Amino acid sequence: MSLRVSYSPNYYSLDDILATQERVPCKVALTIQKMGHLNPSVAERDLQPGTSLELPLWLVSELSQSRAPLVNPELPKIYREAYREILKADACAVDLHKFSLFFYELGSHIKRFDKKQDVHETLLHTFRTRFRQLMDLADNSMSDPTVQQTLDILERKLFNDAYKARMKLNTWLKDSNTTIEAANMVINHKKRKRMNIEDLL
Amino acid sequence: MDPDELEFLGEKVYVSIIPTFNNDGIHLISGDLGPFRASLPVNVPLWVAVSLKRQKKCKIQPPDWMDMQKLEYIKEQEKQSSGFTKMPSDHYMVEAKLLLECAPDDIPRADEVRTIIKDIWDIRMSKIRSSVTKLVKNSDFYAAVDNLTVMEINSVRPILPHALDHLFRMKNTEKTRPTQSSNVSSFLLSKRASTSFHLSPVTSSNTED
Repeated sequence: MSLRVSYSPNYYSLDDILATQERVPCKVALTIQKMGHLNPSVAERDLQPGTSLELPLWLVSELSQSRAPLVNPELPKIYREAYREILKADACAVDLHKFSLFFYELGSHIKRFDKKQDVHETLLHTFRTRFRQLMDLADNSMSDPTVQQTLDILERKLFNDAYKARMKLNTWLKDSNTTIEAANMVINHKKRKRMNIEDLL
Repeated sequence: MDPDELEFLGEKVYVSIIPTFNNDGIHLISGDLGPFRASLPVNVPLWVAVSLKRQKKCKIQPPDWMDMQKLEYIKEQEKQSSGFTKMPSDHYMVEAKLLLECAPDDIPRADEVRTIIKDIWDIRMSKIRSSVTKLVKNSDFYAAVDNLTVMEINSVRPILPHALDHLFRMKNTEKTRPTQSSNVSSFLLSKRASTSFHLSPVTSSNTED
């Protein structure tokens, strides 16, 4: 899949939809009426200001952007100072998969809530540092499924593409009796056409 | 792109063969081949040469550069320079692979040639690797890729263009909260911009895998 359709800002990007599902801690700023059930620890009808909640990112970004924000977003803990320090020390040693499945995607959204832009720097730094490792993995791992376990979704996609390409090059270098196959795009193109015709009939 | 597709492109290179048969020539869309006269050298595309060789109808004359002295010189140059040196052919890997595979008997010291070409390839690949990591890590703005051959460029795809696209995306997504404007209409406008999807920041080139 080309990059153009698989990542935000693309309305149909599944990764973006999944990434914005992640919960973000936030504090309620105004009284929100009849929403007391969002805070299960108190049996009140209205949501009081100052309550700490964890809401999905898509909701938080809408609620916090208006002129009188309903909630004040905070950084999830993996983007806070302590975790940023870990990443700064050695990003390669970190199990990013454990941090978050969508570390980069989520981070690109979260950094709007970070006024000092440290998150932005951390994301770039992490990606740059881990790229070398990623390339080495893709070039040298021989069908070992465990190597992917420390990568987040975005890295995993890069890894899979690179790994496939590397395997193709290696097979080409070793033996040549492979036949040229029709490109995926061509095959899919035909299929889609046929489906469209059936739909019309 | 697949290496096989690049091989297909590389097969258009002309090589000189000495046919062992007589023929008035073959007329193809891409041009005429021949006429073939036994033991008179003639230039044909690589794919024709390989196919004739497989039928044992010709001897292939290896290209000038497929010669130990020249290759050793290239290897030394490649070792010494920090950049990439000019290769004798844009498809040297394809040519070497096909010719060494089907006509090792026509190439003098074929085994040594095979080894040295592999050496040159390895040196160049390690240079590519180190410069790619440097490019990403130090966030340089450009990389000099002169004298790289197609097959070598293809070896860093799709990982390099995709990684650069992601970096670009991460840099470009808005860093701070949009400035909170005082009137509602501009707020709505800014909202619309943030959800529209033809504002794709991905660079138009190098997006295919």
